[in-house]
Amino acid sequence: METAEFDATLGGTEHLPYAANSFKFTVSRSVEIAALTESILKPSKNKLVFQSLPVHMRRRVMSHNSKRLPRRLQKAHLEQVKKSGPLPTQKRPSRKFRRRPANLLDEYNRRQQRSVWLETHIWHAKRFHMTERWGHRLPYAPCDKAFRACYRGSSAHCLMQDISYYIPIQIKGALDTIREMFAKITSSLCGLGISAKAYVNGTRQGNIHLYGINTYPFNYIGKVQFLWVPSDTDDKNLWLFVHPSQVKEVESILLDLIPDKDIEKEGSIKKRRKLVNVEIKTMHNCFNRFRLTGPNSHAILVQSLKCINANYDLENSKWMSIHKPLYLEEKEEYWDTLVKAGSPAQLPPNLVVGLVVQDPRLSRPWKRTKAKLPTDSFITTNTLLTVPSFLSNSPLWDVNIHKAIKEKIMSNGQYIKHVTETQLVPGEVNEDDSALQSIPIVLVQRPGSQNSEYKKIGYGSGWDVIVPSGYALPFWLTFIMFGARSGGLRETESVTFESGECYLPPDSNAGKENEMRIEQELRDKYFRLPPSKRINYIKIGTNSPFICPWNILLSDWSNQEINNYFILRNRSLLNDIQDCITRKKALPKIENDTSCLVPVYIKLVGKGSLKNHAHICLPESHDLNNIKTLFEPHHEDPNEKIRKLNRTAHITMLKQLRKRNMRLRKKRTQISQKKTPKYVRRQPSEYVIRTRELWLPSKIKTVRNIASRQVMGYISQGAFSFTEACSCGIGYIAYNALNTLLSSKFNQVLVRNTSSRKYRLANIIIIQNT
Amino acid sequence: MADENTQPKKDESKKRPKRQPNKNYALKKRLPVKPIDGENVIFITKKTNFKAQLDKCCDLITRGEKEIILHGLGAAIQRCCNLALQLEILFSGTCQIEVNTGTVDVVDDLEPLVDELDFDSQVRHSSSIHIRIFRTAMLGANQ
Repeated sequence: METAEFDATLGGTEHLPYAANSFKFTVSRSVEIAALTESILKPSKNKLVFQSLPVHMRRRVMSHNSKRLPRRLQKAHLEQVKKSGPLPTQKRPSRKFRRRPANLLDEYNRRQQRSVWLETHIWHAKRFHMTERWGHRLPYAPCDKAFRACYRGSSAHCLMQDISYYIPIQIKGALDTIREMFAKITSSLCGLGISAKAYVNGTRQGNIHLYGINTYPFNYIGKVQFLWVPSDTDDKNLWLFVHPSQVKEVESILLDLIPDKDIEKEGSIKKRRKLVNVEIKTMHNCFNRFRLTGPNSHAILVQSLKCINANYDLENSKWMSIHKPLYLEEKEEYWDTLVKAGSPAQLPPNLVVGLVVQDPRLSRPWKRTKAKLPTDSFITTNTLLTVPSFLSNSPLWDVNIHKAIKEKIMSNGQYIKHVTETQLVPGEVNEDDSALQSIPIVLVQRPGSQNSEYKKIGYGSGWDVIVPSGYALPFWLTFIMFGARSGGLRETESVTFESGECYLPPDSNAGKENEMRIEQELRDKYFRLPPSKRINYIKIGTNSPFICPWNILLSDWSNQEINNYFILRNRSLLNDIQDCITRKKALPKIENDTSCLVPVYIKLVGKGSLKNHAHICLPESHDLNNIKTLFEPHHEDPNEKIRKLNRTAHITMLKQLRKRNMRLRKKRTQISQKKTPKYVRRQPSEYVIRTRELWLPSKIKTVRNIASRQVMGYISQGAFSFTEACSCGIGYIAYNALNTLLSSKFNQVLVRNTSSRKYRLANIIIIQNT
Repeated sequence: MADENTQPKKDESKKRPKRQPNKNYALKKRLPVKPIDGENVIFITKKTNFKAQLDKCCDLITRGEKEIILHGLGAAIQRCCNLALQLEILFSGTCQIEVNTGTVDVVDDLEPLVDELDFDSQVRHSSSIHIRIFRTAMLGANQ
């Protein structure tokens, strides 16, 4: 074969030119060159500079205000912005705008009229999603994605929440009177009474369950924390800290308890007359209360609270002339011994410590640091065992001093002025500065889990710090600067869930309201979805996906109408039931068993996730063997066809209406006179209501037998639990249903989420610290 | 490895009445006093997965830690020993073990169940074990 050469000199066909025209050469390649130079000059990096920052460091206005970026990125960012067009000129804000802070306060006051603000509101509003709850504007969850971080805080570091929304109620009166009052609204079966010897001397804080007057076990109100002010006389001073969702009920019930006596007084019984001397005062905004959870909370308190002693200059602490604090030195000494404790869970449970401390701004670090405890020495067992009697004594409970404290508060501006102008080195903080008044505070220990078989010992332990009003922010910021992580209401929910306690139980009004609110939210969300994305709950065999119908559940299990129900809180009975479950024994017979719900902690055996409102079902005999393939069979949805017919009918009707309107408009008859105002929120039309009713029938008659397995109860809170490393839930089971389960020799239950057909096996544990 | 998990559970229920000192009190436990914590200190528990803690120890040693310290308290002592022995086998020849035993005073709270009694507390003594595992050969010598 002939070799196909190209060049003519080598025998080919093509004659190549002796010189190349560079101009021509470039012109023919100009497009490529242009493309290359452009790509060099503008590297196609599809990330903006601020996108290289981690999420928690990003700020909303970063893209047009470069000052929000870290300085090292500012230059690169400006360059990038230049490329996208000329820089937006920063306008000088108007005089009106600049003058805003003054107006701002008015604006703030106006907004506070609608709902109560906490003292730390503005701090929170900048960092948290806020919600309106119980007449307060409260932080719900931090804006940075901190769900896990908050859990880690509560288990290994420190999580801090502002719970100043707890409302203190002061009760003054004779011990016997108060005991008699509370005997009617509490039960000794649920735990220690209000006047138990363990609490009366004031060294410990207690919890009691409140019920309606003589209605135990029905009409549960809620759990209330209480504290006795230590005193030797018989006239005692009791402080209740009541959750705002229950405060109205508690108030009215306490007031009801007094007038009763007034009527009896007319019978001229001398003993009764004494009873009138009970004084009840609700003290809104009297204290601030911070909840610190986690082992490091102790270190934070140790670092930020500096006790004062007798040789401290008391000139500026005007309140001390009204109420002289006692045992300053002994308390300082005791607090110094507590420094060696590694965690609040090592200290006596529910211990109350009253201290008088320096202004926390003096001990604040200039940069956020993690508080650490000195590790050179360990706390002696002796200090852990004994609780000195002087410890819980605190001037904070004397209401008369509150005004004096408030008058002498040094505002932040004044403080900065003081530090920059009067100190030898401007801005340097003298830690023993006596220009700032000292502050009485009270610390309350929370023991957390004390049962290693239920939860890891010490989970949820921490300190509650009670400070006088006006001092919330100085304390809050100091704790934050020492490394506390702030949380909101969501964290309260998750910590109670992780420690296996009930949050707003459904037999109280507060719990019922909470359930209704959640139902409304979920329902709205459900109907905002397009029909193709909605779960058809009828096909799954769930008829109340957003709320747990306790009434109907109990009625189904007792074959009679039940309107009032209660959750079992009798300690010894709960203990017995736990015993019955482990031994697969039949339950003891109790009173009111038809309207009784048993609180249970559900732990999945295998994998799977639990969600809120999941069903707890009764297993059948062969279920344990084929649990892996146990599904709820598909159900027929009789409404589907009706919905479709309705829809087509509705569409044709709309079409006809439109046509008629067009026709009328053509005839120029004036029909458009009655125009509805534009932004009125429309009520759902009759058609919408009818269709919704077909999606989720609101009138439920039975819940027990809607699916292939009988429903025993519901899970009110279910999620993955970090403490257990598996899916867990807190739920309630009808007493009769539990009895049925145990009499068939099972102690495991089936659990099914509302949006799934899969049944899963779970273990049940009775919740004893409700 | 999981020998300690298979102990018969009946023993537990037999033992329990002994610890319950009185019908009028409920026994509540407090957190024991912890020794100094650090990067290379591992507290062996009964609840944490054995393999996970073993892996953690292996990681620490291979990362170049000169010594790691294992602490075990009470029922976790056996687990602690097992883990140390496993490590010795895994890093045979390059690691040595030093064992110390001790006693930890644990405080239990007695919470009254009736109104007439006050809180009380008692001290229990619990055995503890502290195992120091330290490298004898240079890192990477056995690889």
